[in-house]
Amino acid sequence: MRSFLAAVLRIVRKDLRIESRSRRVTTTMAMFALLIVLAFAFSFVKTVRNPAVLGRSALWIAFVFGGTLGVTRTATVEADDAALDGILLAPVDRSAIYLGKVTSTSLFVFAVNVSTLGATTVLLGYTPTLRTALALLGVLAVAAVGFAAVGVVVATLTFRAGLDELVLPLLLVPLVVPVLLAGVELTAALATGAPTESWLRLLVIYTAILLLAGVATFDFVVEE
Amino acid sequence: MTVASRSMPLAVRTDDVTKVYGRVRAVDGVSFAVEPSETVGLFGPNGAGKSTLLRMLAGLVRPSSGTITLGGADLVPGDHAVHRAVGVVTHESMLYDDLSARENLRFHADLHGVTDPAARCEAVLDAVNLSGRASQYPSAFSHGLRKRLSLARALLHRPDVLLLDEPYAGLDQRSVADLAAILDGFDDRTVLLTTHDLTRGVSRCDRALVVDRGRRQADVDLGDTSAAAFETTYRRAIGVDDGSNGGEGP
Repeated sequence: MRSFLAAVLRIVRKDLRIESRSRRVTTTMAMFALLIVLAFAFSFVKTVRNPAVLGRSALWIAFVFGGTLGVTRTATVEADDAALDGILLAPVDRSAIYLGKVTSTSLFVFAVNVSTLGATTVLLGYTPTLRTALALLGVLAVAAVGFAAVGVVVATLTFRAGLDELVLPLLLVPLVVPVLLAGVELTAALATGAPTESWLRLLVIYTAILLLAGVATFDFVVEE
Repeated sequence: MTVASRSMPLAVRTDDVTKVYGRVRAVDGVSFAVEPSETVGLFGPNGAGKSTLLRMLAGLVRPSSGTITLGGADLVPGDHAVHRAVGVVTHESMLYDDLSARENLRFHADLHGVTDPAARCEAVLDAVNLSGRASQYPSAFSHGLRKRLSLARALLHRPDVLLLDEPYAGLDQRSVADLAAILDGFDDRTVLLTTHDLTRGVSRCDRALVVDRGRRQADVDLGDTSAAAFETTYRRAIGVDDGSNGGEGP
């Protein structure tokens, strides 16, 4: 178990080190998310009276499309020069490789979501209370894990099968619809004080299913 | 212990190994055995199935049918024992451009659970004459230097079997000579290599397997065989014995 966790941490540390130098994943995601928030600001800020509606719409659209770019970039790092093959040649459980990639991708997606939340506050006037903001960060964290759990599998599958990068969103977005739906509803419920239990349960259970499915299938995805 | 020394060489054996991709039989019922410490060359035209065969031996590709054994034990992709025993160099370096040469090696050494990884990384960097470039990034390396760093990565965990896919491809004469000199230090390992360079391959290998259209076409004990004599055998094996091979280099 210790060696399993050590392998997960080594992969996470390697990804964070690469990202701290190249900033390829987070910069691409953040720029794209910012463009979405800006587009919302230019298009709706004068016509939509409720900044909470505008803010959560921009936040979750940026989450899906920015996240898709993020998992693509993360997978590209491993696809370049067959770097993933190098990891697969190590005596490490493939589920450890998968969980390492999911952890680092989740961190990237979550970090960009936090900055997107900041951008919606500044540009769209979306100002949740501190309590709501903290709860929302929790929702974004779970959603980021769910998104990364399926994103890593789909992105790895796309690259290893030699499919075009454009296929990735077509495969990924339908699978993250429950995450998106739960996220949007939870964000609305947190703002209005409506019950959150059922949506939270959906988000957590679906994320857990995605993670377990990823652990179970990653071995087949990487194998030729 | 030197960089070249390791536990003990292992025998490799394939029995009726086949790999099918859709309708294509990339490898079709190939059987052969490699003795411990033997160096065997896999020769064949492009698309013959050499690289697929090597990837199956590395545990990266699961055979559609047939068995591969390593030191008498069945090779199962993902099995830790396989990955501890095998070192692989392919066309791709399997390195990260945003990690320095030393960081790349340290990452792989840690994944392999190498004891005293820092010292081991320095030892293999020294063995491939890259100590002076340890802090540089592979993106700044020439193809030859990347190949050497890739070899260092493959040697980190003291593998018993070395699999080299086209180790000389794309290298200039000097880089080929440098790489050959480095490989000379690892003659005690079981080595399987693919190459299009018949002269280099004949001089390095004890035995040659000629593969074409996914099948083993010939098994030649190279002994004192000259490159010219082997070329004749090779051309006959792949069905091109008139001095040309239809534009397909060996």
